[in-house]
Amino acid sequence: MDVALFITCLSDTFYPRAGDAIVRVLRHFGCRVHFPAGQTCCGQPAFNSGFHRAAAVLIRRMATVFEPFTHVVTPSASCAAMVKQHGPPLLADDPGAHAASVRLAEKTWEFCTFLRDRLNVDIAAHLQAREPVTFHYPCHARSIYGLDDLRAWLSRLDVRPPARTDLCCGFGGLFAVEFPELSAAMLGDKLDELAATGARLVICNESACTLQMAGGAHRRGLPLRFKHLAELLAESLGLMEAAA
Amino acid sequence: MSTDPQPPLTAAETPGGTGPLDAFLHALRRRTEAAPHPTPLPDRSNAALRAVRPAEELAARFAAEATAAGCVVHRVTEANWLAAAKDIVGSLSARLVLVQPQPGTALTAERAAALADALATAGRSAVSKWDDDTLFNCDAAVTGVVAAIAETGTLVCVSGPAAARGASLIPPVHIALLDRTQIVGDLFDYFDRLANTGSPANINLITGPSKTADIEGILITGVHGPGVVHVLLLE
Amino acid sequence: MSRTGDLRARIAAATTDRRVVNAVHLAAWRKVDARAESFAKLPHVEALRDKAAQIRQHVIENLPRYLECFVERATALGAQVHFAPDGAAACRTIAQIAAARGLSLAVKGKSMTSEEIGLNVALEATGVRVVETDLGEFIVQIDHDRPSHIITPIIHKDRRQVARAMAREFGCPYTEDPAELTKIARRHLRDIFRRCDLGITGVNLGVAETGTLCLITNEGNGRMTITRPRVHVALLGIDKIVPRLTDLPIFLKLLARSSTGQPMGAYTTLINGPKRPDDPDGPGELHVVLLDNGRSDILTGPLREVLRCVRCGACLNACPAYRNIGGHAYSSVYPGPIGSLLSPLLYGHAYDDLARVSSLCGACRLACPVQIDIPELLVRLRALACTRQPRAKRVLLRLWQWAMQTPWAYRLGQRLMRFLPDDGGGWTRHGPGLLRAWTDTRDLPCPAVRSFRSIWENELRDEH
Repeated sequence: MDVALFITCLSDTFYPRAGDAIVRVLRHFGCRVHFPAGQTCCGQPAFNSGFHRAAAVLIRRMATVFEPFTHVVTPSASCAAMVKQHGPPLLADDPGAHAASVRLAEKTWEFCTFLRDRLNVDIAAHLQAREPVTFHYPCHARSIYGLDDLRAWLSRLDVRPPARTDLCCGFGGLFAVEFPELSAAMLGDKLDELAATGARLVICNESACTLQMAGGAHRRGLPLRFKHLAELLAESLGLMEAAA
Repeated sequence: MSTDPQPPLTAAETPGGTGPLDAFLHALRRRTEAAPHPTPLPDRSNAALRAVRPAEELAARFAAEATAAGCVVHRVTEANWLAAAKDIVGSLSARLVLVQPQPGTALTAERAAALADALATAGRSAVSKWDDDTLFNCDAAVTGVVAAIAETGTLVCVSGPAAARGASLIPPVHIALLDRTQIVGDLFDYFDRLANTGSPANINLITGPSKTADIEGILITGVHGPGVVHVLLLE
Repeated sequence: MSRTGDLRARIAAATTDRRVVNAVHLAAWRKVDARAESFAKLPHVEALRDKAAQIRQHVIENLPRYLECFVERATALGAQVHFAPDGAAACRTIAQIAAARGLSLAVKGKSMTSEEIGLNVALEATGVRVVETDLGEFIVQIDHDRPSHIITPIIHKDRRQVARAMAREFGCPYTEDPAELTKIARRHLRDIFRRCDLGITGVNLGVAETGTLCLITNEGNGRMTITRPRVHVALLGIDKIVPRLTDLPIFLKLLARSSTGQPMGAYTTLINGPKRPDDPDGPGELHVVLLDNGRSDILTGPLREVLRCVRCGACLNACPAYRNIGGHAYSSVYPGPIGSLLSPLLYGHAYDDLARVSSLCGACRLACPVQIDIPELLVRLRALACTRQPRAKRVLLRLWQWAMQTPWAYRLGQRLMRFLPDDGGGWTRHGPGLLRAWTDTRDLPCPAVRSFRSIWENELRDEH
C-alpha cells in the first residue's frame, strides 16, 4: 500500500522522531511511504482563530500537494480533523477545489486509526513499555478516535490513568499566546493530574499538546517525558532505539 | 432609565392584531420565513425514553427515591396511619398544626377530622384555615397530594378551592399523605396524564425538602420551604 | 471592554486570585462529578439529549407560530402578556405595572434574564424596593457584588466572605457555619415574604400548547415569590418555549441533573394563569413580559442554535477556562462558554473577544443537555469578527499564511527558529519579542536539531 505522510508543521519542527517512528512502523507493516516535500501546514491555527480565508488557502494547497496519493497518514488527530471536517466547507464556493478537498478528506487518516482500520494491526498486542505509563487524550481527537480507543491501544501496558482522563492541556492554538496566563493555569491543572499518577512517561499523540505540557513540566521541574504512541510502537517492534 | 409614560404593551389591549406584540410577531414571521426549517418536531410519545419499567414495584421505587431526595417515608396502613401521624407531630413537639383536606387526595375530610381529633387529644391544636398568621406560625402542615412519581420520589400538590399553595411551602415541616394507588411510574406518565386533564392554576412537583448549596456547594436543607418532608405512604 | 488588551489583563489578573480560583474549582468540580453520577443512573441519556436538542432546534426554526400559540393560551388562562423589544422597555413595563397598582416591595426569584436587563436598578429608581430572595443572589445583593455563575451566583465566594457580609448587614453574631448563615437569611426574608406585594421571576420554559409557565427552584424562594405577592410578573425570553406539555418532562429529566446533579429540583412549579377565584392564596394578577432584547436578531443570524440554551450552567462547570478565572473576568451577565456566545450576540462587538477565551476543548459541548456545539459556534463567531482583530495580528497572520504557502519560506522559518536562545538542555526560558507570551509561563523546546524533512531527505527516503 502506498502511503503519503502528512507530518504536520509542529512535528516536522519540534518532534521529528514521531514522524521517523511512523515511517518505520508503516514500512514494517508493508507500506511504501512517500513524503511530498511541498507540504507545510493544514491551516488549523488560522481556522480555529477565525481566519478562515487563510485557512481556505492552505487547505486548498494541501489538497494539491497530496492529490497524487491514495492514502494520507498523519500523527495528529487534530490536523486530521481539520482536513476531514473543516476543510471542505471552507472551499464550498469553488467546486473544483471543494471536490479536491473532499478527496483529501476521504483519504486522510490519523496514524493509529490507520493501523487499526486499514492495516488491521492489533496495536495493543505490539506495545511494550519498561515502565508505567500515563496518557493525555487530546480534546481535538474526539471526532477521530475516542478516549476508549486510546485506552484500548494502551491496555496491555501498566497504565496509570489520570483521575480526570479528558482534561484539556490548555493549548488551544493561538489561545495559548493570546491568553497565556489562562492557558498556563489550565496547563497547571493538567500537569497536577499527570504528576499525581506517579508515571513518568506520558503517551500523547498531539505535538501541540506535547509542546504545551512538556514546556510546562520543564518549567516546573516535573520529571515527565512525552512520547507519541508511534514512538513507543516503533521501539516495541525493535525498529528504533528506546529514547531516553 | 427613561420614565416616559408609555402604556404597558398588553396583548389583551390590542384586539384586531394591531398592538406591538402582534406587530413583532408579524415582523418575526416575515424575517424567519426565508430561513431554512429543516428540523421536524419529534414525536409526542416518550415511551421509548422511560426510566421506569412498567412492571416495576412503584411504591418501593417511590420510597427509595423520595428517601434519596431527603424525605422521610413512613409506610403505613389504614389501621396505623393516624398513630404514625401523631408520632411524627409528637416528635416535632409541634403545637399548632395545619391540616388541609383536599378532594382528590388521600387526605379526605373524614381522615382530616380524625387526625384533628387525635391531635387534640394529644394536646396539639389542629387548624384548617389559610390566613397569614396560621401559615407563618404553625409548626407543621399536613396535606394530601394528587399524585406521586416513583422515578424521582416526587409529590404533586396542586392549588384548588380548599388547597392553599402556602401549606406545603411556608410551615417548617410538611407531612404528606399519599395513597399507593396515586403513584405513577415515570415523570412521562405524570405529564401524559396532565396533558389529558384540566390543569389547576398552580401545580407543584415537590422532590424532597427545600435546599440550597449556594455557600461553598455545601447542602443545607430548609431555606424558605420546609426543611423536613414526611411522607405517609398508605398501602 | 473594547480591546483584547483589557480582556487579557483582566483574565491574567483573575488567574492569580487564588481564593476565587480555588472556590470555583472546588464547587465546579463538585457539580461536574454530581452531574456525571446522576446521568450514569439515567437510562437513555443520549436519546433524551437528542430529543431535547431537536425540540429546541425545531422551536427556534418555527418560533413565530409557537409564540403566537403561547400568547393566545396564556391570555386565555388569564395572564396579561406584554411584549418588550428591549431591556429598557421591559423595565419600563414592569415599573408601570408596579406604579399603576401602588406596589412598593418586590421579591425576586433568581433570574438571569432580569440581570440581563438591569431590572433591579431600574425598579429601585422608580421607588420600588427590590429584594433578591435566592440565597446566593441575596448575598450578592447585600454585598453589592455581581453573580459570577448563572446557577450558583456566589460560586466565587467562600464562607468567610458570606459571614462578613451577613454580620455587617444584619448586626448578627459572626458565624461561618453555612447552616447558620442560611438561617439568618431565612429569618430576614420571612418578614419580607409576609409583606411583599410584587413577585418577579424568570421562567425556565413556557409551553406553547397550554400557556403554562414552568419554574424550577430548590430553596422555595421561587415558590414564595409566586405565592405571597398579589401580583406576579414573569419575565420570559422569547426563545424559552417548548411546543407541548409532554415535552416538559424531557427537559425536567435533563435540567436539574445538568445543573446540580439532582434528579429533580426540589420544586418544579407549573403555572396556569393567575389564582382562580376560589383559590385561598396566590397572585391575583399574572403578567408575562416577553423579552426580545436581541434574540430575534440571533434567530435570523448564523448562530441561531445558541438559542436552544436552557441556562443549566453545565458548560460553565465543565469549562477549564471558566474554572481558572471565574465568572467576573468575562465582565458579562452571561459568563463561561455559553456566555462567550451570548454576550457578543446580545451586547455587541465590544464582547467579540470573549469568543477567543476558549481552548475549544469541547467539554462544554459534551455537557450541554441540548447539544449546542459551542466550540463550533465560537469558531464561527471568531470568523465573523476576524476583520475587527488588531491590525498587527492580521498582518502577522498574513505573513504566516504566506510562509506556509511558500515552502522555501517555511523551511527558512524552521531554520531561523534554531537561533532561539538555548537556555540549557535544549530549552528556551526567555523567548524574545512575541515569544514571551509563551515563555513567560512555559519553557519552549528548541526546534529539533534536524527537522523531519531533513531526516527524510538524508536517511529515511532511501531506506526501504
